[in-house]
Amino acid sequence: MKGIIELNEVSFDYKSVDQTTVGVKNISLSIKEGDFVALIGHNGSGKSTLAKLFNGFLIPDTGDVIVKGMNTKEKKNTFEIRKKVGMVFQTPDNQMVASIIEDDIAFGAENLGVPREEIIRRVEWALSAVDMLEYKKHTPFKLSGGQKQRIAIAAILAMMPEVLILDESTAMLDPEGRKEVLEVVKKLNKEHNMTVVLITHYMEEAIDADEVYIMNEGEIVDFGKPEEVFKDYKKLNSVKLEVPIVSQVIALLQKDGYPIKNCLKVEELAEEICRLR
Amino acid sequence: MGKGISFGQFYPGESFLHKMDPRIKIILAIAYIVTVFLCQTFYSYLAIFLFLISLILVSQVPLKSVLKSIKGILYLVLLTAVINILFFKEGRVLLNFWIVTITLDGLFFSAKMALRLIFLVMGTTLVTLTTTPMSLTDGMESLMSPLKAVKFPVHDVAIIMNIALRFIPSLMEEIDKIMMAQKARGAAFDTGGLIARAKALLPVLIPLFVSAFRRADELALALDARCYNATDKRTKMKVLKIGYRDLIGSLAMAAVMAGIILMRVFLTGV
Repeated sequence: MKGIIELNEVSFDYKSVDQTTVGVKNISLSIKEGDFVALIGHNGSGKSTLAKLFNGFLIPDTGDVIVKGMNTKEKKNTFEIRKKVGMVFQTPDNQMVASIIEDDIAFGAENLGVPREEIIRRVEWALSAVDMLEYKKHTPFKLSGGQKQRIAIAAILAMMPEVLILDESTAMLDPEGRKEVLEVVKKLNKEHNMTVVLITHYMEEAIDADEVYIMNEGEIVDFGKPEEVFKDYKKLNSVKLEVPIVSQVIALLQKDGYPIKNCLKVEELAEEICRLR
Repeated sequence: MGKGISFGQFYPGESFLHKMDPRIKIILAIAYIVTVFLCQTFYSYLAIFLFLISLILVSQVPLKSVLKSIKGILYLVLLTAVINILFFKEGRVLLNFWIVTITLDGLFFSAKMALRLIFLVMGTTLVTLTTTPMSLTDGMESLMSPLKAVKFPVHDVAIIMNIALRFIPSLMEEIDKIMMAQKARGAAFDTGGLIARAKALLPVLIPLFVSAFRRADELALALDARCYNATDKRTKMKVLKIGYRDLIGSLAMAAVMAGIILMRVFLTGV
């Protein structure tokens, strides 16, 4: 099956007058429709660069990025691609345009020239999808970080995208806010078949992903199902990532010859250990 | 604050004035300014005063909030009044010593000038008190839309105003945080002379600008991500509609304006 986003040997460098910094190099991947994909890497590993290539913010130096059959290189596709691939950023405050929540949600749909009645419907839908409908007429200033970020997600949802990219959208939040946002995103993935690309440096957030990509120095160093990828904790440590404790314990037990199945949650691990004699 | 707006002057309410179309309010505010300038005698100032009082009553905004607006221009009013009194030389002399001459006409004239300034500010404040910043910019955008014919970027200007208003509270918060951080490192903002204090603000302003630029960067990306400028046929969720209130309001303003003009033509005296 062809993916909703396809990358073909994509490379991108940041060029300034006197130096060139590698963004990403030689990346090929395919994200399937309805998947929950996590991109993990430490700061400067190229994960945000990769995300910005997905929706045409950056155009690859070599290689092609194809979104739903459209190449990001062609100018005429730009808005069509951005409509399909919505992106939420790190700081919720800096993404809000209007001072009243419903106006902010409507902004994207207004830009696309959606008819008025449809915008009103979409605002209602987007706000209830992130569980914030009651705040419709409020100002965002008094909300918590997690609530603001959910508003930012709703603002993207109002454009009816098929892919939702979260570019470190949980990085500035407290643990409670992070949980809220992740729950909303998982719900969108499950109930609305939204393809989700979650960019983060918290490996715990990737536990429920269908597929995980580990990035380092602009390259994908490993990918696959999270339980497979997380097993190789030495490799992950070598690219400055901290493996969830469950995966570490499993890897150590397996090394000593205990027949333990791969899993990611503490409860599952406890079950496994109890099953040992 | 309730569901209110935490900045600007907007006073949340459901009054007649609140429900008027922002475009009409802007136009009527301009008509009001012209009318105030047409006032010549104390009778016409009295008429404006009565009009203003009834507007405030209709708006249901507490008088205190309206009067707060004068605080900002109080010194300006006093200064112009004093200058007017001192330099007006015509009419019956009331007091004359050294180089100071105070005349009766001078007193009347400066009183009228002061009233004019105060009425101007109070009247226009009433517009911002009863209109959300958002609908104010919406109204301006709509009023400026004929300029689109000469390729003036009306919508962009409206968005800029909107974002400016939107970021005021965020930047205030930022200033607070930076000041606190600098205080924690021993910066003193409230001691020393004027120059020392101004200098002390420098370590606040520089981080503020840096962070504002960083914000602008992310905001620009966020605007792009939401397909800003994707089409010329932009739609609006909230459509401005002119209703019977706007008609009544316009008629009232027209009546007051006509009255002031008639007074100017037929009424003489102070």
